[in-house]
Amino acid sequence: MKLLTCPMNGPRNIDEFQYLGPVRDDADPDTASDAAWARHVFRAANPPGRLLEWWRHVPTNFVFVAERDTVSNDVIRTFDPATAERP
Amino acid sequence: MVFRLLKYGLSHRYPVTGDIPATPDLKPRYDVVIIGGGGHGLSCAYHLARYHGIRRVAVLEKGWLAGGNTSRNTTTIRSNYLTPQGIAFYKEGLELFAAMSDELDFNIMFSQRGQLTLAHTEATMRAFHTRAEAGTYMGTRIEVVDPKGVEALCPELNMDYGGALEILGGLWHADGATARHDAVAWGYAAQAARCGVEIHQRTEVDGIEIAAGRVTGVVTSRGAIACDHVLIACGGMNYHVAQMAGVELPIRTYPLQAMVTQPVKPWLNILISSVSLHTYLVQSSRGEVVIGGGSDPYQLYSTRSTLDMKEHLAEGSVHLFPFLQGVRVLRQWAGITDMTPDYSPIMGASPVTNLWLDCGWGTWGFKATGVAGKRLAECIATGRVPAILHPFALERFERFALLNEMGATAASH
Amino acid sequence: MTRLPAPFGSRIDRARTVAFTFEGRRVEGFAGDTIASALAAHGQWMLSRSFKYHRPRGVMSMAGHEANTLVRVGREPNVQADLTPIAEGMVVTAQNVAGSLAADRDAVIDRFGRFLPVGFYYRTFMGPTRDAWQRLWEPIIRRKAGLGVVDTDVPARTFDKAYLHCDVLVVGAGPAGLAAAVEAARAGADVVLCDGEPELGGSLTYAAPDGASATAAIAEASALSNLRVMTGTLCNGWFEDNWLPLIQGDVLVRARAAEVILATGGIEQPAVFRNNDRPGIVLGGAARRLIRHYGVRPGQRAVVLAGTPDAFGVATDLAAAGVAIAAVVLPRPLPDHDVALERLRGAGAAIVTGRIDEADGKEHVGAVRVGDDWFDCDLVTVSVGQAPAWQLACQAGGRLGHDEATQRLTLTLDRPGARLAGSAAGHADHGAVVADGRRAARAALRALGRDAPDLEPPRDNGLVFAHCALPLDPDPRAKDFIDFDEDLQVKDLINAVAEGYREIELVKRFTTVGMGPSQGRHSALATARTVAAATGRSVAATGVTTARPPVGPETLGVLAGHGHVAERRTALHARHMALGAEMKPVGAWWRPYLYGTGERARAIADEVRLVREGVGVLDVSTLGKLEVRGPDAGVFLDRLYTMAHADQPVDRVRYCLMLNEMASVIDDGVAYRLDQDRYYVTATTGAVAHVYAEMTFWNARWRLRVDVLNLTGAWCGLNITGPGARAVMTALDSDIDFTRDAFAYLDGRVGTVAGVPVRAMRIGFTGEPSFELHCPGSLAATLWDAVMAAGEPHGLRPYGLEASRVLRLEKGHILIGQDTDALSSPDELGFGWAVSKKKPFFVGKRALEARRRLGFDRRLVGLTFAPDAPEVPGESCLVLRDGAPVGGITSVAHSPTLGHAIALAYVHPDDAKSGHVVTIRGRSGAPIRAIVAGHAFVDPTNARQDL
Repeated sequence: MKLLTCPMNGPRNIDEFQYLGPVRDDADPDTASDAAWARHVFRAANPPGRLLEWWRHVPTNFVFVAERDTVSNDVIRTFDPATAERP
Repeated sequence: MVFRLLKYGLSHRYPVTGDIPATPDLKPRYDVVIIGGGGHGLSCAYHLARYHGIRRVAVLEKGWLAGGNTSRNTTTIRSNYLTPQGIAFYKEGLELFAAMSDELDFNIMFSQRGQLTLAHTEATMRAFHTRAEAGTYMGTRIEVVDPKGVEALCPELNMDYGGALEILGGLWHADGATARHDAVAWGYAAQAARCGVEIHQRTEVDGIEIAAGRVTGVVTSRGAIACDHVLIACGGMNYHVAQMAGVELPIRTYPLQAMVTQPVKPWLNILISSVSLHTYLVQSSRGEVVIGGGSDPYQLYSTRSTLDMKEHLAEGSVHLFPFLQGVRVLRQWAGITDMTPDYSPIMGASPVTNLWLDCGWGTWGFKATGVAGKRLAECIATGRVPAILHPFALERFERFALLNEMGATAASH
Repeated sequence: MTRLPAPFGSRIDRARTVAFTFEGRRVEGFAGDTIASALAAHGQWMLSRSFKYHRPRGVMSMAGHEANTLVRVGREPNVQADLTPIAEGMVVTAQNVAGSLAADRDAVIDRFGRFLPVGFYYRTFMGPTRDAWQRLWEPIIRRKAGLGVVDTDVPARTFDKAYLHCDVLVVGAGPAGLAAAVEAARAGADVVLCDGEPELGGSLTYAAPDGASATAAIAEASALSNLRVMTGTLCNGWFEDNWLPLIQGDVLVRARAAEVILATGGIEQPAVFRNNDRPGIVLGGAARRLIRHYGVRPGQRAVVLAGTPDAFGVATDLAAAGVAIAAVVLPRPLPDHDVALERLRGAGAAIVTGRIDEADGKEHVGAVRVGDDWFDCDLVTVSVGQAPAWQLACQAGGRLGHDEATQRLTLTLDRPGARLAGSAAGHADHGAVVADGRRAARAALRALGRDAPDLEPPRDNGLVFAHCALPLDPDPRAKDFIDFDEDLQVKDLINAVAEGYREIELVKRFTTVGMGPSQGRHSALATARTVAAATGRSVAATGVTTARPPVGPETLGVLAGHGHVAERRTALHARHMALGAEMKPVGAWWRPYLYGTGERARAIADEVRLVREGVGVLDVSTLGKLEVRGPDAGVFLDRLYTMAHADQPVDRVRYCLMLNEMASVIDDGVAYRLDQDRYYVTATTGAVAHVYAEMTFWNARWRLRVDVLNLTGAWCGLNITGPGARAVMTALDSDIDFTRDAFAYLDGRVGTVAGVPVRAMRIGFTGEPSFELHCPGSLAATLWDAVMAAGEPHGLRPYGLEASRVLRLEKGHILIGQDTDALSSPDELGFGWAVSKKKPFFVGKRALEARRRLGFDRRLVGLTFAPDAPEVPGESCLVLRDGAPVGGITSVAHSPTLGHAIALAYVHPDDAKSGHVVTIRGRSGAPIRAIVAGHAFVDPTNARQDL
């Protein structure tokens, strides 16, 4: 069982967490074309390499961001976006 | 048949057929470059060379032939989908499989044993009815069966569980089949090579060259090649390779794990799966029970295995067949799969002229090995996308016109 | 009987005889014997028939490394006879035989091997007709496939799981592992030492070099309180972040270790020559295990293949056990062993230079040929070196390499938290192995933040002769096996390369080499060398196939564990049971399906009529219940749901509809504004977990000042509904005024009922006057009892889920997930009224606008069927238009209120007008006429709910 370090609860088994997908760029619903909005809805970063992504610690309902390498599966860092500067 | 066995037995030396030629030097130019030496890419190469007279074709494989999901999948062939468009396509795929051994003169061990999917909830039963109604309308052999029917089809199943594990019924897809996955790729490779197709193993693509919105070549680890057409058919790496051409696909990459038991004498004659337990089982012709389930929960390009998935698959298997408690797991493995938002593939044109897509197959591409290759060869040869592929266009994601197959794919592969 | 006296037989208790049967014959062994050792003691070497050619096979490693020893024990197939202890009354039988082990009719296949070359099945079995494979050939092949027989009637047993945490987990209790564990424990670390063998010591228990002993280390390991010893425990895999399954009998222990030391030792390799699979041809280690562990004299007259100095230890043990040594075969000079050779020569052994070229003997080895000389024997011991036990290390990211100078496989592992020690790391000399164990422990201690100075890398003089690479030229008459499990010979691999399968993974797939139960333990090195020679590559460039978990076979039972299924019950479960309800699972929840008895359709209709004509009560406790609190609660709901909630008055309840980002409907419920900053929001039973997560997730991005509390499991709910509902409510002891004017439709009130704090809402799914009371679960039974008592004079009875579904369908209320699918937009459902046109933003709004512009191709409508319709379609039946499917039935039921069938269905938008006739394809395939109606079949003007 892989470990993931929750910024609030520390390292926990990864089956305590829910994966919420890659962090996406914000798109402006008022200016985006229909097709551009559709791309925003359906496309997400999927690089073989570093990825910023949302996770939720289910028992405590705490949502945070992890930076993970999608090839090695190494977690580079996790942080609470409310208190950390997003890169 | 008997003659062939005698040929081996009575020949002084082993009569080499030479299925896969050694990787030749790269030529400076090809008509078509196919990125990905898996079943789909090889099938497309074969169809181009055999039926469209296009023989200057190079298949590029970064590792070894068919070493990706072609050799890692659990070999379910079916057409029990939800939408008429989906069924029409997969039905053609199944028909090509049935004829494939003859077509390729290579025994792919196609075995139409039927697939039984189990329902433990009323919602699943409803979904089964939807598939059965659409399937029978399209002329496939598919029906919803009650618990008695389930028991008749698979007497070994434990029917005694109550509650959430009670078996309410099943979906019996008599057309469901299995085949030897490697043989499919090898058969296509051997026949494509005989038609002049070049297969380049250990040849990785590093870039796709585009001029004026049209594909002009690819850059490989062994040098650059010019070409008129490129097909992207590289499974879990599709998102990454398409990006080389500036095409951002709505794809996320997830591992799919499976495991196999030690060989035991055949006892399971059908393909069986349970939607609620996320488990499916098929016994190979070697006697191994191949067990698979759902994808991993997060994006990953690694084929590592996890203990949790193995425990989960074991639990599901033992729920269905308690006597499997004493059967031993031999090996677990994983493939990396390219999943689209509607769990349906993307086939046909891309925003770049002559850059063709055979992507987004997720966890169920094996069943379409023949038909995807055949239809994409048609695209490349004619420059037009045939109607049967229209529902699978990349462009559907800009029109919110997703294929309503969600649910048809879970734990069935 | 070939038993030796003590000190031979360290594992057996000669005082305790244990009897079992093998192939129907009674066999006596001693407590501590394995099946294979007890049989060997009686001269029974043959244990099985091989997979393909049905050749006789017996013990080769005595370490569970090969499929040769797989037998059936009782009802369990594929049990390893060389590892499994005997038990009184055990019934052991051979597998994969036609007839009996001794007289296997399929043994004839062996003579036709030349007709069955590698991969032959890909080129044959295709005629004479297209389906010949499936109809004719596959059934024959399938009968020959597999090894053991699964008993499909065997009853289930109980397995269990446990957890374990430690600082350092040492895998392997041989000299390196023992040294590592003791070193780490001395420094104060929390250490676990595990080994699959029944005792500590590893190879020292049967193959100790002169002067080497584990006694001191074992004594210390047993005395250290912070060192947990787990013998008989198989570490069967390495998974991310040092998560390792330790199998102890029927228990799967999942261990998390900060540091792992893999002291997994080596795997002794066989030699390849014609008939190298005959029973009686064993690895040197197997002979020594038989002698030392089990006191079994493994033969009368032996030939010793001495590729490595290990052979001299084997010869010494054989001599001590009274085995005559016919010949010592030296493939290469072994300097420094002249004295030992002279001693053997003096004892009568021929010392011959060369290799074993072939073996003879029908069911047991009878002689071997070296060059032109034959040597009679009934035992051949093979010592040609070891491969490092690479499985765990490779799973942890380690790599196998090949050292051209010494012709051996090398193993490296470079990963934080895991390291190799001892012979797994390539050491051969006993001193070096022990020193390397200590060194690995020091490194692990440093990684744990402890002060532990590094030790000098050990000097190792044994490596030069540790491996002996014999030539792998194919024997012209074959039967020179590289893979015993799969009956693969040298030529098979060469032929695969000739066919173009030049990559090691393709060779594996084409020939199945390494795919059998031993997973390449004995074949990987020989395969790599054969393929390297055939392709002109180096062994290192050829490589070996990927090592996958598990290390050794593990049962599905131990992996599955106890298999308990979690279920959820509402606080009223006991009440429902007492009332004789038929309970059904809905997801994890158990809900009353029906209370009545007798004929089902009638009982359901009775419950429907109860609500339409009197008053009924439904347990709605499984509904999702979320409390949204904070100054931005209204704004938050406005962004999440399609209707307006920020301007919703306090004490009012409003429908809420949730879309996803592509504007598909994913949930609905109601939001009750408790006060300015507090809403009580319901969600559907199946979706609440998702809705709760979505709320949190969105707010991680929006950062509004709200907090969401999931009360689903903590609170219960009852819905009292029917024309008689108000009479029941007003009869209750409550501070809430339930009269019509005081408590209007979609009002909410907080108060007490029968002393129970409640949240009351005028909402319902039935279209009748309805009151929903929510209260803490601990008080739900009190509330239920009070409601039942107050309702008794009014004929109040509970009704079940099925009647509830009919009641809602009569009103045309949709069920999310049943009447909607992944693409259903509010427009397709006719839910325009539930979507705010004024709000600047809500989740899904932008996509909804885009989808509106693109148009939609279906609409959800009500359908009615004539009371005398010959066939009523079932759920999911297709709606056809000009013969083509345009939609399908999502819900259908017979309406007891209306006396005919009603349904919800997707139809073409042009048909979505009341009165249009559509055609349904019935289950039988026959067309059925239906008339389009509005959603609400009963009381379309909604007059009744406000009675």
